[in-house]
Amino acid sequence: MGSGVTPAGTGPALLRLEEVVKHFPIRRGIVFRREVGRVRAVDGVSLEVHQGETLGLVGETGCGKSTLARCMTRLYDLTSGRVVFDGHDISRLPQRQLRRLRTDLQMIFQDPYSSLNPRRRVGSIIGDPLAIHGVADGAERQRRVQELMVQVGLNPEHYNRFPAEFSGGQRQRIGIARALALHPRLVVCDEPVSALDVSIQAQILNLLADLQERLGLTYVFIAHDLSVVRHVSTRIAVMYLGKIVEVATAGDLFARPRHPYTCALLSAIPVPDPDLADRRSRVLLAGDVPSPVDPPAGCRFHPRCPKARERCRLEEPRLERRNGDPEGHVTACHYPVGPDEDLARAAGARGDGIGDAVGTGGQHGDR
Amino acid sequence: MSAALLQVRDLRVTFSTPDGPLQAVRGVDFDLPAGTVMGVVGESGSGKSVTMLTVLGLTQGAQVSGQALFEGRDLLAMSAAEQRKVRGARIAMVFQDPLSSLHPHYRVGWQIAEMIRAHEPVSRAEARRRAVELLAMVGIPQPQRRIDDYPHQFSGGMRQRVMIAMALALRPRLLIADEPTTALDVTVQSQILDLLRRLQAELGMAVIIVTHDLGVIAEMAHEVLVMYAGQVVERAPRRAIYYRPHHPYTRGLLESLPARTGLPGTLPAPGRAGSAQRQRLRPIAGQPPSLIRVPPGCPFHPRCPFVMDVCRREPPRLRPVDVNGSHESACWLPPEAVGLGAEADARRRAAAGSGRIQPAEAGWGAA
Repeated sequence: MGSGVTPAGTGPALLRLEEVVKHFPIRRGIVFRREVGRVRAVDGVSLEVHQGETLGLVGETGCGKSTLARCMTRLYDLTSGRVVFDGHDISRLPQRQLRRLRTDLQMIFQDPYSSLNPRRRVGSIIGDPLAIHGVADGAERQRRVQELMVQVGLNPEHYNRFPAEFSGGQRQRIGIARALALHPRLVVCDEPVSALDVSIQAQILNLLADLQERLGLTYVFIAHDLSVVRHVSTRIAVMYLGKIVEVATAGDLFARPRHPYTCALLSAIPVPDPDLADRRSRVLLAGDVPSPVDPPAGCRFHPRCPKARERCRLEEPRLERRNGDPEGHVTACHYPVGPDEDLARAAGARGDGIGDAVGTGGQHGDR
Repeated sequence: MSAALLQVRDLRVTFSTPDGPLQAVRGVDFDLPAGTVMGVVGESGSGKSVTMLTVLGLTQGAQVSGQALFEGRDLLAMSAAEQRKVRGARIAMVFQDPLSSLHPHYRVGWQIAEMIRAHEPVSRAEARRRAVELLAMVGIPQPQRRIDDYPHQFSGGMRQRVMIAMALALRPRLLIADEPTTALDVTVQSQILDLLRRLQAELGMAVIIVTHDLGVIAEMAHEVLVMYAGQVVERAPRRAIYYRPHHPYTRGLLESLPARTGLPGTLPAPGRAGSAQRQRLRPIAGQPPSLIRVPPGCPFHPRCPFVMDVCRREPPRLRPVDVNGSHESACWLPPEAVGLGAEADARRRAAAGSGRIQPAEAGWGAA
């Protein structure tokens, strides 16, 4: 399975996910907590992250991208499947050994306001990993922390300040410094710039790029803003309802998207270019994302897909290389979109005006 | 030239805070012709939302001065009772978060009908009939049935449709939409923008869209206001803002976006083969200013790469930078210093000229 996903000419896999599943049980009852259902947040994901690359992970709210990120870093225990980091299976590691893993695998979170303890000084927040892992103490720790602060563009004299004294962008720098304290090899960034204004967002993206170059980091970069993901990623994986539907290099994915969902997603990005915006045709999708408690049978995208046929309702498509695609470009679709195909027209032909199109998805959205 | 539907003159809004008066809006002027779409763009704290809330009479505990003439009457000088008559009926609004704008305890149909009955003497049955019509108009499937659902039974996109239905219930002349799609996923966002565009054309109302997303504005607006530190720094027709920006802040905003090219239907971004040739973004240095201690002169001067001595002393006023006066900018650079790219920047740099001192220390926040 891995061979189909590895494009030629990139580094070896630093992190490999094999059929990763994460379900959250829904329980009812007070004394006897019966399980009445499961949120299938991540439902069988196989993916590789190569040494030195940035793997972008995109998808809409509830597609499971953040859950997948937390499975990768073992912040969640898996329901089933394996996570292999640098050749070692880490999916069943006990807590104590997991701690050692943390030096290699770090995470940056979306909200720079809630991911920093407001009552602690910045120096001690950034120094935490050093203290926990017994790497450095006292004056040495302060020196290391101030080094980190310089590295991420913070004034080292602000060592004793509280998070509240920093702006959103600076707080994100604090989060980045903390993640880098132990010289990790893989950093999972979960929406690291979503809470920031455009001008500040660009500063942070540049910082992440510089750090990657300087420290040889590997990133998994999660964001819902596709233009940001395109900018930072070597390869991009598109998620829909707990599954990966397409993986390709960033250039390839944007130039020749094959999955109808990817096409719709790309066509929905608002472009800051009026002439282009007027010219572009959109693939308007029917309705909302169905509930992951009870995902549709067959291809999970079929109720909203302008190309759906009988087979899509019955048989789940495999994530594999499709006709004419370069190696490493894999798509989970029975009827991938061709190079000259106009999906917007297909959507129109199916009679999907806003009104009835919404009907299909609405039933799922009601849950 | 037809009279403006809404004329705002020298609007100033100040909140008192423990740290001193915070000048959220510092002298905003604009005219909105009937039936047109105006986009207001700016980062957090630029005063874009406060301006609109004040026009609606919804800023509490603030000192407000200036005029907001709507159909010839000053909204700011009206009594609360008169304001209530205008608000909802003649001017409607849609906010970012549809869940907190709808009452969770009442059925949506009741909420729409109640709103109609608050303004017009119609029977319950008639109001309900109109509510069903409105839900159908905004593309909610099976409106007869959905009218008796509670807000939590709708998805985010559907709730925003309900909000739009409610806003349009009384056929307003002006719709103010404050970040109407920010909380939504891109595919849902494109549905909602599409709906707004269609309804605007059908009903011929004027629309003000407030957003931080330059992509949304590019698709929707006829005219664009760019706000910074409580002031309008640039005003221009849509294409001029995107292709011939004058103000260095507008230029900075556009240049810090990761995606100006490379989306489907455009040329691929130059040299974008992999992360090795990743282009650096060009962020605006520094942070937005404090509105309690606004910098003297031009509020953008501490972050401006083209700062001149005059910028530090005297605040520039909006003045025309094209022949017919439809494009205005509050910047001391000469009118011909418009555009994006190296050539335009060279013009700006030359204009900034010999009397120029090095840009102010941008601080540690600068990447």
